[in-house]
Amino acid sequence: MRKFIFKIIAFSLIIILCFFLVLSFADGYTDDWYIKFTTPRQESLILGTSRAAQGLKPDVFNTICNVNMFNFAFTITQSPYGKTYFNSIKNKIKRGNRAGVFILTIDPWSISSITENPNDSVNFRETSLCLGNTENVNVNPNFEYLINNLAGNYWEIIARKYVKGVKGSKFLHKDGWLEVSVPMDSAIVNKRINEKVNGYAQSSKHYHYSTLRMHYLKKTIDFLNNYGDVYLVRLPMHPRLMEIDNDLMPDFNDKFADLIPTTKGYFDMTSLNGEFSYTDGNHLHKSSSKIVSEKIAKWINAK
Amino acid sequence: MLFNSIDFAIFLPIVFILYWFVANKNLKLQNLLIVAASYLFYGWWDWRFLSLIIFSTIIDYSVGRMLERKKNQINRKVLLWISILVNLGFLGFFKYYNFFLDNLVTAFNFLGHPINPQGLNIILPVGISFYTFQTLSYTIDVYKRKMKPTKDYIAFSAFVSFFPQLVAGPIERATNLLPQFYKKRTFEYSKSVDGIRQILWGLFKKVVIADNCAEYANLIFNNSGDYSGSTLVLGALFFTFQIYGDFSGYSDIAIGTSRLFGFNLMQNFNYPYFSRDIAEFWRRWHISLSTWFRDYLYIPLGGSRGGTWMKVRNTFIIFIVSGFWHGANWTFIVWGALNAVYFLPLLLTKKNRNNLDIVAQGKFLPPIKELLLMFLTFGLTVFAWVFFRANNIGHAISYISEILSPSLFTIPKFVSMEKAFMAIIFVVIFILIEWKGREEQFALASLGLKWRKPLRWTLYFMLAMTILLFGGSKQEFIYFQF
Repeated sequence: MRKFIFKIIAFSLIIILCFFLVLSFADGYTDDWYIKFTTPRQESLILGTSRAAQGLKPDVFNTICNVNMFNFAFTITQSPYGKTYFNSIKNKIKRGNRAGVFILTIDPWSISSITENPNDSVNFRETSLCLGNTENVNVNPNFEYLINNLAGNYWEIIARKYVKGVKGSKFLHKDGWLEVSVPMDSAIVNKRINEKVNGYAQSSKHYHYSTLRMHYLKKTIDFLNNYGDVYLVRLPMHPRLMEIDNDLMPDFNDKFADLIPTTKGYFDMTSLNGEFSYTDGNHLHKSSSKIVSEKIAKWINAK
Repeated sequence: MLFNSIDFAIFLPIVFILYWFVANKNLKLQNLLIVAASYLFYGWWDWRFLSLIIFSTIIDYSVGRMLERKKNQINRKVLLWISILVNLGFLGFFKYYNFFLDNLVTAFNFLGHPINPQGLNIILPVGISFYTFQTLSYTIDVYKRKMKPTKDYIAFSAFVSFFPQLVAGPIERATNLLPQFYKKRTFEYSKSVDGIRQILWGLFKKVVIADNCAEYANLIFNNSGDYSGSTLVLGALFFTFQIYGDFSGYSDIAIGTSRLFGFNLMQNFNYPYFSRDIAEFWRRWHISLSTWFRDYLYIPLGGSRGGTWMKVRNTFIIFIVSGFWHGANWTFIVWGALNAVYFLPLLLTKKNRNNLDIVAQGKFLPPIKELLLMFLTFGLTVFAWVFFRANNIGHAISYISEILSPSLFTIPKFVSMEKAFMAIIFVVIFILIEWKGREEQFALASLGLKWRKPLRWTLYFMLAMTILLFGGSKQEFIYFQF
């Protein structure tokens, strides 16, 4: 019996050690979000959905605004404003002083829900996704995140890191910016835009404005006001996506009329939609991300 | 609790330690521990349904005791029917109520008298089909005086709820499992090591083969309208290995776990995809259910005795009931009927017991004829699985129609095909290991035993790491829903 137990324990320990060793190789190639859960608490944050995750470069803000910016934006599925995102933001924020800069990007999707009742928080999708299932957002390596969110794909941690063909087109930088490198020939871009427009047009039928999400956006602003200056930004997008956004929420800007005075200001960049290039209509190409980030940083400096 | 969960990885060692170190000197205490652990195991999913198991246990235990006392055949029959009605009543209500209601509504609509009764939002208790059949086997065997009823309520409760096989089998016979609870179990090193090896192999089947195949089978079946015939064939093949890996993997883990506690459960799968005809397939697939139906339904109906009509009738009954046992959907009934159609020619020409031996026994490769027969049987099985997996009959027919279209001759194409290639490689390795181990109880039973220690341990290490790193995204065991 002792021999049996000894062998089982020894074998299990070796397997567990090797498994965690593999997990510890996780990096910016692993997936689109892992790194965001591995850095220490942050003083300044970029918040919002994938438009911000890909569209705003923290290093540009660091240079122009002299801050330590971190991109803590995810996707419309994971990080619409709500209790889940709010709790994670609370866990991510460095407390103690009021020196932070917080850029909250807003769009109709981040204050809407796909649930039949838009305030049905129990069935909000984000509750079971990475922000909902990872309590600790500041530890490296973050085994909690990897075990909860990478099940079935652990081999990809090594493959994406070392095998060229598997690496893919995305890399998540240590400052939280998701760099996407895709071919930008006009034919391919048009195809991606068409796909994205069709997808969003379909989705928009199921999205409804949520007063609960709006309430949590207010709550997030109030909370962040304790730690620095809060800025609201609406990022640019391809005009065809803009049409869908407008259809989804024609009175979008009106909805923020009461909220803007509680912040340092609101920068609506959608009037500049035509000036930038997009990978798929919804997301800025990295060349434009730099320009947009510079414009916002200069606007903040001017405030 | 799922076998492939962290919860079970913590639960099993705790129960193992308590069983061998705390309760080892007292048989009753060991059995009581098994009952408690089994109830915890089941209640982890939904404790409310524990009451069903406890109620079934009380009914069948009491009926068994009364059957012993009653000498009058009519009274004995009444008692037997009480047990059958209670057990099948639960099963019928939880599993088939809405199915019958839906079909009743359809029938009335068809006859021009629409009705609108209220359906119920019924949760199907996990494993109800398995433990119901297990307890029924006890009552029927006691009624037929094949075994003496037990006077030990704890042992009987442990038999009904034995956690390794409670929710997805093997469906044990009282004659095999119950007596094992009467005898003191002693720890056997070789048996436990064998158990661990079988658990390891079961996990490989479930986590690496079934869960990886499930990803692509689900993708293709759920969007079958978008794919070519060749891709749909691939989808059916993925499902073929998903269901085998899933179910036989569960059985391997169950049997292996039982061995750790000193129990022997029956073999549930015996390399069914290497069968040379459908009759052989059914002797090798879900053996505990097939033999259950054979002993408690087919033989009482007259079996293959009697005239041709009787044989045809009985064959259809057993296969259709078996299909219906799997789920309350016409797809399962058609799947069962289709297998009856495959089986009947063999039965009527008395060729159903042609292949009782192991294919290519003692040889590395089978003769060409046997290889062709294996492929033919495998093809028929894959075709039948389409009905089993499809959402409804219409879906199955459109799926098969597309397979039979010219698009069958195009190159398969679907999203994440490169990733699926890895699953195919695993399936090929899996088939090779199963083929090599086909003369054993499970494929890993003798693999590596004669190798040098470091090499053997490397094999176990590789298997364990493959399970952890390459396991597909977690899927429920398919047979839980049955």
